[in-house]
Amino acid sequence: MRIPRPKILSLPFLDDIEEKGVVKASTDLADDVVTRVTSGLNITDIRGVLRGDPAVRPNPRLTPHAEGFWLHMKPTYYNNLMDGLYPTFRLGWLATFFLVWETLTGLYLMIFYTPSPLVAYENMLNILSNVPFGRWMRDTHKLGGELMVLVVVFHMVRTYITGSYKRPRQFTWATGGILLILTLFVSFFGYLLPWDQLSLWAVTIGASTAEATPFIGREADLLMRGGPEIGANGLLRAYLIHVILIPIIMFIFLGIHYYKVILHGHSLPPGVEEPGVDTARKVPMNVRTYFMPKILTRELVYVAGLTLIMLVASAFTLGYHAPLEPHADNLVTPLHTTSPWYFLWIQGMMKLGDKFIFGALIPFGIVFGTIVAWPYIEVGRNRRYGKRRIGLSIAASSIVLAAILTYMGTPWFGVETSPDQEAIAILLPQTSPGPLRLADWNDIPFGTYSASEWESAPTRTTSKLLKMFDRELDHARDNPIYGDVEGFMVVEDWQSDLKKITVRVVWVDPETGTPGEFSEIFFFHRDSDYGQGE
Amino acid sequence: MTDAEGQPPEEGQAGALDNLGVATPELTRREFLYYLWASSMAVFLAGVGGVTIWFALPRFREGEFGGVFTISIDDIPAPDTDPKEFAEGRFWLVNLGDEAVNDPRQPEEYTFDPGIRVLFKVCVHLGCLYKWVDVNDRFECPCHGSKYLKSASRIGGPANRNLDQFLMQVIDVSGNVLTQTEATWPGDREGSTLSIPAGAVALRIDTGSRMNGAPNTAAAGGT
Repeated sequence: MRIPRPKILSLPFLDDIEEKGVVKASTDLADDVVTRVTSGLNITDIRGVLRGDPAVRPNPRLTPHAEGFWLHMKPTYYNNLMDGLYPTFRLGWLATFFLVWETLTGLYLMIFYTPSPLVAYENMLNILSNVPFGRWMRDTHKLGGELMVLVVVFHMVRTYITGSYKRPRQFTWATGGILLILTLFVSFFGYLLPWDQLSLWAVTIGASTAEATPFIGREADLLMRGGPEIGANGLLRAYLIHVILIPIIMFIFLGIHYYKVILHGHSLPPGVEEPGVDTARKVPMNVRTYFMPKILTRELVYVAGLTLIMLVASAFTLGYHAPLEPHADNLVTPLHTTSPWYFLWIQGMMKLGDKFIFGALIPFGIVFGTIVAWPYIEVGRNRRYGKRRIGLSIAASSIVLAAILTYMGTPWFGVETSPDQEAIAILLPQTSPGPLRLADWNDIPFGTYSASEWESAPTRTTSKLLKMFDRELDHARDNPIYGDVEGFMVVEDWQSDLKKITVRVVWVDPETGTPGEFSEIFFFHRDSDYGQGE
Repeated sequence: MTDAEGQPPEEGQAGALDNLGVATPELTRREFLYYLWASSMAVFLAGVGGVTIWFALPRFREGEFGGVFTISIDDIPAPDTDPKEFAEGRFWLVNLGDEAVNDPRQPEEYTFDPGIRVLFKVCVHLGCLYKWVDVNDRFECPCHGSKYLKSASRIGGPANRNLDQFLMQVIDVSGNVLTQTEATWPGDREGSTLSIPAGAVALRIDTGSRMNGAPNTAAAGGT
């Protein structure tokens, strides 16, 4: 049956219907659309991939790598040796996953965040308490950032150990080193955004370190801080650096890094090649694992598994929860302020002496400079472990040194204050809620309790708190500048549902006989939620 | 190879031989103009970079957190008592008596007479706010553990100079300046202590003019 139709319009699909009938024409059209979207695989090809059929010749499964955008960043096949977890542990893929994860969760958080000191902290409280899944989103964004630092470091350690940075992959390593530095900095600037005490003082220390640089220090500091001290300008700048500037640079370097990885292929385990020879691109037919379907599905399974892990890791009571300290205060630096854990080694070094040398020149000039330039310094071609004893020893001792410096960066090294203040900080720390604020409101009855009589305290919680207090006071008792030292906790009924808790240390100066006293007051509301619902 | 004007190649156009015996072609006018253009582009981009930094540099008044504070002499703490904090001006007011002058911990380079000093509250190491710790009778920084005496002298920790001071003037009832902070160290550093002359009614402290402390890098204090 032919329907006469004016030949003004030329519609191939209508011609097809005329020729083949509606069903065949539609399936052909669908096939065509699928082929275009996948850059070369039609429905039959995809079914072949899924069924595990051997590829036909010419192999259509290679076309998406040659013609498509996404898969041109993926090799068409791997060496069988590279198919499992060893030797890459898929850490690069994992790092890419976290970059995407951070971008997505960051975008959600941006919906409820304004970078202004007037509202930023309030935004945090809103995200934590009112936004559905808001707290989870913040927790997973923070956890993802910290894990990303860890994964990038592990990725580099792995690459170092297997000698995969060696010729021809020197430049790949250098871009990876730059990505590590960018990862650290993007995390660091994110620190300021909640506008709590931790944020403000960690970034103040960072900006002051930049200030110590000769010649350009003052300008670098002002550019970062946006004024003599961090305020509205500084917060806005940190926000823009965190959400735009560094991410853009990271995506550019990720592109370069990925391109180089595909260009040179994944380096094989060091033991399987002749020393100095790189056969990553010459994979014999019989040891090839094609990207489609095995590697592709495997990578997607990794992503699905990681997403599940990240979903669960910050959910429920036992999951990871991002800390939120008191509102930023330019007038008070909290006791035991520290930098983020991945910068503690720098904080440790900065206790040793000159801030420019130990805070800027050594970590950023020498350490990061050496990391980025390492493959051009250590040019030996042999990747076998036994032939790289010096290089591997340098790496191992650097890791040990970093661990020691990290310890030195903590408040336990060189920053202790007087024992009376330390004793109170055990119960009421200034950088985290601590045991008293996290205690159950009902478990701290009214009364006056003395630390040394912790055994006779009315509740287990009070007894536990007083015992901690008493243990810490022993340091004061050992110190000759205090005579008789005693700690007290006074719990008063202040308003309905509000307790006033005074933690006090009193002593008598053994020489002059004058009494000394140090105390801190904490107002504890029945509904105050320092544990964020725990 | 011919150059842009189609002139016949001059002698030596094929170039001198370098020490490997490879001919290096001579610079042609076209090539030269390309370099000129490229360098003008580079200068332009450097200019854009400079303007970007200039644009992004913040505009503010020096010491904008404070201003000029006038404090009655009745508010000065008694000699050798605890320093007094002025949070809004970011400074401590200290009154150094004989006890401070003769403190055995005082590094001997930084001599001073009994009197008053105004100490900028920010640690000269990395910008944290140090605090007064009564029991230890010194200022301590909670970030990297720098320690300072009431006299502003550093006695420990990673800081590399004494505490900074603000310029202070002692004024009489009609506003005349009776005495003011002077540098006691080369390079306009280490402000003097001020004693209160007769007729003084108030201190005027300008947080906009700051005087750095003297260099101090020895382990227990001193140059």
